[in-house]
Amino acid sequence: MSKPKSDKQTFLFAFIVLAVCSMLLSATAAALRDRQQRMVEFDRKRNVLLAFGVEIRHEDGTRFTPEDVDRVVEQNIREVIIDAETAEIIPGLTRADVDPRHIRNKIKLPLYLWEENGDVRRYAFPISGYGLWSTIYGYIALETDLATIAGITFYEHGETPGLGAEIERPWFREQFKGKVLYQDGEPVEFKVAKGRADVQYPDRIDHAVDGISGATFTGQGVAEFITRDFKLYNRFFENIRNQ
Amino acid sequence: MATTRKIITDPLSDNNPITIQVLGICSALAVTVQVDTAFVMSLAVISVLTLSNVIISAMRNLIPGKIRMIVEVTVIASLVVLTDQILRAYLFEMSRQLSIFVGLIITNCIIMGRAEAFATQNPVRPSLMDGLGNGLGYSVILLLVASGREILGSGTWYHVRVLPEAYYGNGLAVLAPGAFLILGIIIWIQRTLTGNFKDD
Repeated sequence: MSKPKSDKQTFLFAFIVLAVCSMLLSATAAALRDRQQRMVEFDRKRNVLLAFGVEIRHEDGTRFTPEDVDRVVEQNIREVIIDAETAEIIPGLTRADVDPRHIRNKIKLPLYLWEENGDVRRYAFPISGYGLWSTIYGYIALETDLATIAGITFYEHGETPGLGAEIERPWFREQFKGKVLYQDGEPVEFKVAKGRADVQYPDRIDHAVDGISGATFTGQGVAEFITRDFKLYNRFFENIRNQ
Repeated sequence: MATTRKIITDPLSDNNPITIQVLGICSALAVTVQVDTAFVMSLAVISVLTLSNVIISAMRNLIPGKIRMIVEVTVIASLVVLTDQILRAYLFEMSRQLSIFVGLIITNCIIMGRAEAFATQNPVRPSLMDGLGNGLGYSVILLLVASGREILGSGTWYHVRVLPEAYYGNGLAVLAPGAFLILGIIIWIQRTLTGNFKDD
């Protein structure tokens, strides 16, 4: 800022700065876009695997690479899309063909089938709903009885770190294993207790887990959307049960 | 060289951007629940601050006075978006946890403050040092606050358990008021030790 600049110089300078900055940013965004999308997709698949109870580590403790995750998904998981209205599988439709908004609004329901030697061993589907501050996204896996929880993950949320965000932690997620969402021909109201489940819900301990201290509302939200989303898929599950 | 050293060491204590100038408090509260997020945030701020100081200092004789601040913000904003994009591509987990706070580095008063107060009036080399020094000064406090909060709040440090398993975790330390308390205590200790405070 030595001597004052003329208007022409000012405009020229502004133009050059803006041109350089915007080109730099466009170039970076374009160069990194593929990798960013791969990371998002990797994270999604990894969480499906986690819900299915797959250790996403090798035996020597190193974490799965995106290629490892792809391989396991390729080998074991089949994805079908269910029409929420008719509760039927839409034949030939894959996730890539579906408008993401339809999945988010639960008009089209993706269902993941874990298959071994042609037999379905587990089912998993996405769950989402409000916690305290944010929409929480996750996956839940069921055993072949379509009632018992095999695993659960939460992978995207904006809950308070250290409080609501504890839903991501293994101690919280592990509790869901073996809990039951369907009994005597009816979906069951699931509960996340305020404090200990065996104190608050002693007679329905199969349908409740311990809450997180300081995150009562997050827990209530989680319990509500598990119950609600299970009911959505249950219409399709009834077809399987009746077969 | 004595002055160069002073440019770096000054912001670490006697002229620390957080504890003395009380700038950049917002992010100091937001990302200090755990040490790992505070660490990545520190690296992001150090790189943005150093680069913005260098670039603005290199252009200081060319920048027209009328649009000085707009140019500074443009440079800073570009660097921040760049950092955010890189985090998303290479440190996905971390960028998800830091979420909006990387973007908010743009509004971190320390960066604009150093550009205005130092980089526009000094050559590139001292500006680089000033950026590094202030970035480190910010980081030291961020990591101290985060250490306090993670240990008191979760009983861990960098996800390694330091307090016995029976320790329940103090909810207050996890929430924003905990950060204020710890920051206040750090400022108190620092000012008592250095005697560096003005009592008008």
